This record gives sequence, structure tokens and C-alpha cells, in this order.
Amino acid sequence: MTTSVPAPASPAVAFSVAGVSKDFPGVRALEDVSLAGYRGEVLAICGANGAGKSTLARLISGQSAPSTGRIKISGYDKEVTSPADADDAGILFMHQEPVIVDEFTVEENLWLKQLSSAGKNRSWRVIPKRRREESLEALRTVGMHEVTLGQLGKTLTPGLRQMLALGRTQVTPHRILILDETTASTTEEHFKDVEALVERERAAGTCVIFVSHRMPEVFAMADRIAILRNGRLIEVLKAKETNREEVVTLMVGEAVRALEAVPTPSFAGIDPVLEVSGLCSGSARDINFTVHPGEIVGIYGLVGSGRSSIARSISGHQNRDSGTVKLYGQEVSPKSPGAALKNGIAYLAEDRRREGFVKDFSNGDNMTLATLGQYSKFGVLNPQQERRRVDELIERYKVKGDGKTLTRSLSGGNQQKVCLAKWIEAKPNLVVLDEPTKGIDIGSRLNIYQIVHELADEQKGVVVVSSEAEELLMICHRILVIRDGELVDEFQSTESNTDDLMRAALGGEL
Amino acid sequence: MTTTATKDVSAKAGRGSTRTRGLIHWAKGQYPLYILIALLIVAALSTDSFFTARNLTNLILQASVIGIVVLAQFLIVLTGGIDISVGSVVGLAGVMSAMIIGGASVPLAIIVAIAVGVLIGLLNGYFVAFRGLEPFIVTLGMLSLARGLVYTFTEGVPVQPQAENFRAIATATILGFPLIGIIWLVLALAVWFMARRTVFGRRIFAIGSSPEAAYASGVPVKQTLLAVYIIAGAMVGFAGFLLASRVGVGTPTAGTLYELDSIAAVVIGGASLRGGKGSVLGAVFGTLIFGIITNLLVLLNVSTFLQDAFRGGLILVAVVMTTVHFRSGKKKTVLSIP
Repeated sequence: MTTSVPAPASPAVAFSVAGVSKDFPGVRALEDVSLAGYRGEVLAICGANGAGKSTLARLISGQSAPSTGRIKISGYDKEVTSPADADDAGILFMHQEPVIVDEFTVEENLWLKQLSSAGKNRSWRVIPKRRREESLEALRTVGMHEVTLGQLGKTLTPGLRQMLALGRTQVTPHRILILDETTASTTEEHFKDVEALVERERAAGTCVIFVSHRMPEVFAMADRIAILRNGRLIEVLKAKETNREEVVTLMVGEAVRALEAVPTPSFAGIDPVLEVSGLCSGSARDINFTVHPGEIVGIYGLVGSGRSSIARSISGHQNRDSGTVKLYGQEVSPKSPGAALKNGIAYLAEDRRREGFVKDFSNGDNMTLATLGQYSKFGVLNPQQERRRVDELIERYKVKGDGKTLTRSLSGGNQQKVCLAKWIEAKPNLVVLDEPTKGIDIGSRLNIYQIVHELADEQKGVVVVSSEAEELLMICHRILVIRDGELVDEFQSTESNTDDLMRAALGGEL
Repeated sequence: MTTTATKDVSAKAGRGSTRTRGLIHWAKGQYPLYILIALLIVAALSTDSFFTARNLTNLILQASVIGIVVLAQFLIVLTGGIDISVGSVVGLAGVMSAMIIGGASVPLAIIVAIAVGVLIGLLNGYFVAFRGLEPFIVTLGMLSLARGLVYTFTEGVPVQPQAENFRAIATATILGFPLIGIIWLVLALAVWFMARRTVFGRRIFAIGSSPEAAYASGVPVKQTLLAVYIIAGAMVGFAGFLLASRVGVGTPTAGTLYELDSIAAVVIGGASLRGGKGSVLGAVFGTLIFGIITNLLVLLNVSTFLQDAFRGGLILVAVVMTTVHFRSGKKKTVLSIP
């Protein structure tokens, strides 16, 4: 057990965790973790998939109770056992998926925390006039300049929903702020606002707990970094005295070799797998590009630029307004994902929980859902055959748990491996991956990149849509940049850097 | 890669206890069985007339028709839907089977009953799957429509079929066991096979659990839903014939409140009304629990009014038990995203 390094500036303890373990059926998520956080510091909690970092954050905020051990919040005598207690204790928790009520206005959403203490605030729906100014101010500080107070939560883009949730820090008194992978769905455009917000919080004496596995963000914000691995606290380091390499090594358990940009093979004279011409769909307009067998093409753009529209319209999830899509020279226009799959197009959805896997299905059932025909005769399943194949796939893709484990109980990275296995089993010619590593930690990311490369090695066409320039540069041969629905630029990954991509996506201003 | 080391650790920690945990988990989910056993003990202690061949036969006869309706309801609940038109369809199918060519031919009567069920299932399924309407509202409309037709056709008077062997199926026994009970169990086995051993069944579970994910995985969601409603309709129609056959006439009020009883039995059997969860065995147990309670209350001379209260109370107890069961695996928070 490593003892915590005392915070240098302000030694006032904000919370302390002593000998805490947490058991879930079949899994010990945390084991004997002791950790303290101090006022006016940013404590990053880092770890790979399933290391227990989100579990720890949930325990501190009273969303679940530890199996053994104690958690003490300074200035609060009772134990925190519910979100309501957490409010009283001054803990503000920012979920990975922001809690925004679709049918409430932006202003009502901003003051949502006051809903639970309606007694103290009188009628929360009748927001006093002076609060309008406060609300506008709060929105400005999180960079939401173009949003009106009266517009409904459901009209906001995912990025703006997250920023709105963060806006609550301005209007809700708190002593501890927990950001649980909050930046996973924020894009690079909003990141500066998050950084500024955290800086203000620190100055105001809040203890900020930042759960993340994204190293640039951790090092941009954190004072101390607590590293979890397999449910144990491995080390608490001062951010100034360590570096990315060391933290990642501790997270993963052994040194990681960063993947280098792949040199582009020559595709001259080879017929393309995919030819897209004049594609218009959603916000995408007149998109033309080709993908060759064995080629990995990235699509980069800001949120709302139309990059997902391209992916979804190719794969039958969204209707095309015009344009043609050819697969091996044959024109295809799938009207549903099922039809696209028959054409040999697989689409890994961005929203894993909704479209990626079936909620109540086990890993095995999820992995075979798209290919049940392989395990059945006249519609009757052969359970033995199916189970054998599932075991092979679990082994092959290094999925945690076994074929009977519920997919939803796994970490994001393992869930994604299950989804990938499902699609690869369908033996598609073209694989479209929409934000394949969203909310996934570094160890599993490398796993997923490896799988993507193997797909290319098998001469499949691969399209990767991502909002992370660094990721695309690492795995793609060629990157297309989309801005306001139009394809504005194209880069060879070996000859460009994140700066080029960002500049093209933003339109020159950076 | 890193995973080899971590995998070993987690495997060691988990393996020893997974099997016992799995058993405990299974046992935890079998509360319909426990209710059933408890009921049988109560029955044995409270009256001598329960465990008699005559009473048990009677019990099976009563449970079989509703049991088949429960199987149909079970399939629809699995998809995340609900069918409250089943009672009216039982009535309509029964009356029609006794009316067609005067009820002179039993095979024709069966075909007519099933056809009535299929037709109504087709309509329900079309509205739910292809029009995207709420199953509750669609089948609510169908409940009134079908019952109204029954009263119109019969003018409220029971229909006497001509065929002398109209009651044969319902009264026949095989080795002393009522044929109608065997039909029920065979259908239960068939539904189990369909749900657990076929591609179609897997798709039903997927649709009930996550329709979007099922659609994205290439499952023909609309067609599957339509097929489920048609299959359920066919079973309900057949149940309608069996009921008419058992009573010997096509009664206009036959099947009244079957919708509530069947939904209750499905829920008592552990299925989730949100869809995607449930077992055929549970549905069969649910039917038996309901049947035994009714039977016991009659044997104990409880007034008919109080009987309803008892059954209502049982539904509430069972539903509370299901929430206890399902919640144990979930987090308690309301606002957190699952």
C-alpha cells in the first residue's frame, strides 16, 4: 500500500477513503484503497479499463456503498449514502453521460440540482429574475454563448449537453467536484473551457477529482495523479514529478509501445472497395471519396460537421438525399443496417449502449447476434457450436469474463471488443467505425487499434470516424477532413500532424 | 500486451466461486417455484379435498386454456409489448368456431378459431410493428372491437354447436391425464424451444431488450414483431376453441378478464414487462400458481368476492417480489445513467 503524498499548498483534507473494498457479484472492483483529497487541488484518478476508477468515484459520491472500509467527507458528519446526501455534503458529480432532462429548458436544467432541495428554494420552476443573469453568466463561463435559456435540453448537441451539466458548478455550492470521464464526449473545441473551469475551481478551494485515462488532459489539469490497476491503488504521484510514459506504464503494468503512423502502401491500379460520389445526407453535402482494400481511411471533423452522417448513410442507418455508393463497383443503397450487412458493410455505432450491444444479452449472445445463420439450420440454433465459437472469440479478442457474462457489466473497452467481434464475424468487406475508442482507456485502445490493423491486413476497407486527430494519425493511412458538411481537405497520415487536421477542421483559425 | 497478467489474476479470483454463485443466482430467480411449493403445502394442510384425482384433473382443465393464453401473452411481453385483447379474442374465436356451418365439423371449428386469432394478431402486429403504435392502445381497441363483434354475432345468447363430438377434445384423457393438459404442456415445450433454441427466439429477446441495438445488428425488427403477434394470435384463437369445447357452447362472455389473468401470470412467472426477460417455465408456474389459488379458494368456500381480492393481493405480492429480484443487480440511483 502506498501512502498518499501530502498536497503541498493547502493541507486541508476534503475527503478521505480508508481501506475501502467493493465487491460486485463475481468481481472485486476495488481492494483496500486508501486515499485522501485536499482542498484546492486537482486529483486525477487514472487507470485502465475496469481498474475501478469509476467505482471509486461513485463510492465517494454515495452512489453505491463500499463493501468494507470507510469514506469520510470533511464537514459532513454522516455517511454519504445517496445522491441527496452527496448534495448536502457538497459533492457535485459530473457523469460521463451528462444528466440533462430533454424536456426541460436550458435554465431549468442548469438549476436541476436545486430541484432536490425545492423546499429550501421554494418553487424551483419559477426561477426569479435575478437568476436569469446568474444563469447567463454560468453559461458564458462554460463557453455556451449561442444557447438561449428557454431552449429545450433535447435540442442541444452532445458536446453542449456536457457543457451545460458543467455549468452547474457555477450555480451549485460544492466543496468537491467529481468529473467522471467528463471529457470523454467533449471535443477538442470545448476542452479549453473545461480546463479554465477546473482552474477556477482549484483557485476557489474545491477539491476536484478528475477520473480519466486521457493523458494530455490529466497532465494539463492535475496536481496529483492516483493510479489504479485491477482495483488496487498502485501509486499516487505528483504531476510535476512524473511524465506520461511513467503514468501509462503504471496503469498498464508494463511499458506500452505507441503505435507509429503506418506508411501508406500503394493502391495504384487496385480497384477500390468503396466509391462514394456526390453523397448528400443529413448535414453532409457532395462527398466524394474511395477506399481501397487494405486501406484505413479516417474521417475527421468537429461535432456536427456531418462526419457521422457520412458513416451512417453508407451503412444503411440513415437515408441518402442523393449520390451513389459503390461497393466493388456495384451500386448499393441499403435501406437498413441489415441490408447493409448483406451487402458486406458493417457499422460500429458511436452510441455503444444504445446501438452497440443488447442490454440484457451476454457476451456470447451479443457476439453472434449478427451472424446467427452460421450456428443454425432451418432457423434452429446449435448451442454447442455457438458456444465453441464464442469461447474462441472471447479468447481471440481478449474479452474480460466469459461468454455468459452480461456485456453491460463490462468496461467500455471490453464492450467495444464484443461489438467489434460481432461485426468481424459477419465477414464484411467494408467496416465503418464511428468513434471506436470513445470513453475507452489507453490499454484497450491499443487492442482496438490492433484489431483495426488486422482488418486492413485482411484486405478489408476500413473507415474510421473520430474527433481525435491524434488517434486518426496513428491508425489511418489517409485522413479526410469534413467542415460544415463538406470534404475540405485530405491528408496522408505520415506527412501531417494534429495541427494540420485541426486547422483544416476549424477553417484556418486556430 | 498487458492482458495476460491481469487475466490470470482475475481468473483466479473469480473461478472458485463462480459456479456456486451461479447456482445461488439461479436459485434466487426461481421464486415462482417457491410460491408454488408453498401453495401446495398450504393446500395439503388446509383441506383433504385438494389432492384428489378429481380435483387435480379439474385444476388441470381450468389451468390449460388460460395456460395457453399465458404462453401467447408471454411471447408478446418478451418483445416489450402487451396484449390486452386476448380475452376478447378467446371469446370471438370460441363463438365463431361454434357458429361456422352450425358448428358441425370439429376440424373446421379449430381452423376457424385459429384463423380468427391469426387475423387479429395480424392486425395488432401490423399496427404495433409497422405503424409504431403503442401495443397497449392497439390491443385496447381490439379488446372492445372483438368483444363487440361477439355480442353482435350472438346477440348475447350462447351458441350451441351441432357436432356431437364438439366436447371430445376437452374431455378426452390419455392414461387418466386430460388431453387438454397435454396440449398445453406440448405448446409450452414448443414455445420454450422457439424462444431458446431458434434464431427467431433470440431475435425476440434482442428486440425486447434493446430494439435499436437489434435493428443495428441486422435483426428484421418489424417482421419479427409481426410474426410474434400472429403466432400469439393463433394460440389465443386455439385457446378460444378449447374453452368452447370444454364448456360445450360458444359463450359470449368467454375469456372475460383473461387479459389481466394472463399478464399477472406472466409477471408472477418472472418476466419483465419492459421486455427481454422471462422464462417459459416461469410462465407455466405463474399459470399454476393462479390456478391453484383459485381452486383452493373454491375448496375452502371463500366467497367469490373475496376470491378476487385474494388474487389481486397475490399479483401485488408477486410484482413486489419481481422488483426485489431485478433490483439486486442494479444500482439504486434514479438519476444515474444505466
